[in-house]
Amino acid sequence: MTKSYKVAGHVFSFVFPEEHPLWGLTGQYKPFEIPTDPSPLFIVELVESLPVETLEKVYGGDEEPGQPVILLYRRNGGWAFEMAPCPGRPVCGRAYVDGTFSHVRLQILRPSEGLFALNNAAMLVFAFSTASLDTLEMHASVVVNSGKAFLWLAKSGTGKSTHSQLWLDNVQGSHLLNDDNPVVRVMEDGHTEVFGTPWSGKTPCYRNEHYPAGAFTEIVRSPENRIRRKSVLEAYALLYSSSSGFKADPAMSDGLNATYEKIITATPCFTLECRPDADAARVSSETLLKL
Amino acid sequence: MKIKEGFKLRTIVGEHIVTGEGLAQVNFNKIISLNETAAYLWEHVTGKEFSVEDLTKLLLDEYDVDEATASKDAAAIADKWIEIGIVEK
Repeated sequence: MTKSYKVAGHVFSFVFPEEHPLWGLTGQYKPFEIPTDPSPLFIVELVESLPVETLEKVYGGDEEPGQPVILLYRRNGGWAFEMAPCPGRPVCGRAYVDGTFSHVRLQILRPSEGLFALNNAAMLVFAFSTASLDTLEMHASVVVNSGKAFLWLAKSGTGKSTHSQLWLDNVQGSHLLNDDNPVVRVMEDGHTEVFGTPWSGKTPCYRNEHYPAGAFTEIVRSPENRIRRKSVLEAYALLYSSSSGFKADPAMSDGLNATYEKIITATPCFTLECRPDADAARVSSETLLKL
Repeated sequence: MKIKEGFKLRTIVGEHIVTGEGLAQVNFNKIISLNETAAYLWEHVTGKEFSVEDLTKLLLDEYDVDEATASKDAAAIADKWIEIGIVEK
């Protein structure tokens, strides 16, 4: 059984056995479902087993407490990766991917973590297969106000979601677009558009909506609330560190860099030093809503 | 010395930026900003063995600078590149 989804204009499909219990857990994908597409960008196929192959580890992942672990391997003609929910937990899913990131064979090793494995496989391959298509999968929380999307970026635990919540509570007319993994795309006319996705971290916010980007803002904890525009170099560092992709692949790296440059040219980037309080939302909204 | 495998210079909106790319640098998570002169040197030594003398000559070829200053600056940038791990002896 095949179901297709469209996220930020890119189509992918899941191919699972008809009766597979994982279908019942994929509600977050429902808003993005489209009639079955004959030529998706990539498919994720659930398989019972994967052939034993020689895998050469290329990336061990940055092991941060509480954060998912992704191990990446090279295999003959493509890639393989393994996923665990956090450091110290067993691998719950293994995937073999072809060299063009168009076909994922996913084996779930721990059924209770099947959705986690599916989500991570889909997110990873989405990022890889769209890297050359003016698309970035970002680690960000996004609020919409006045028809524009405002992205908050920072390392986990810094206060992205908190700042979104401060806008929801204090800046009239705000709503949450995505709380963890929005997709941004440079459109044909050069502007940056921000899309909701089926992936939103711990917050179930799976909106199939999109808005022009207002600004990318890095959140930095500080005793003072203040905001300033970033230089080109700082904006590059922010996008580079906040977007998914695999820079070991030359074509992917070229694609990501082309997208960074277009976004930096089209959309302002800021640093917001802030406390987690209502005044922080006042300071950021006064500047950002005037853009 | 030579530039380590996997480092690539890109110009983004007029800024010269070196990043770790390729499997050899998959765990390198910094970006390095080069000024015009450093970018000029980098471009001319990419893919080959080079010495402080080569860098000095490149500076003398391109800039109106005396040899002592060029030699000192060449040694300084080579040391810096080695220190931050993008060039190896």
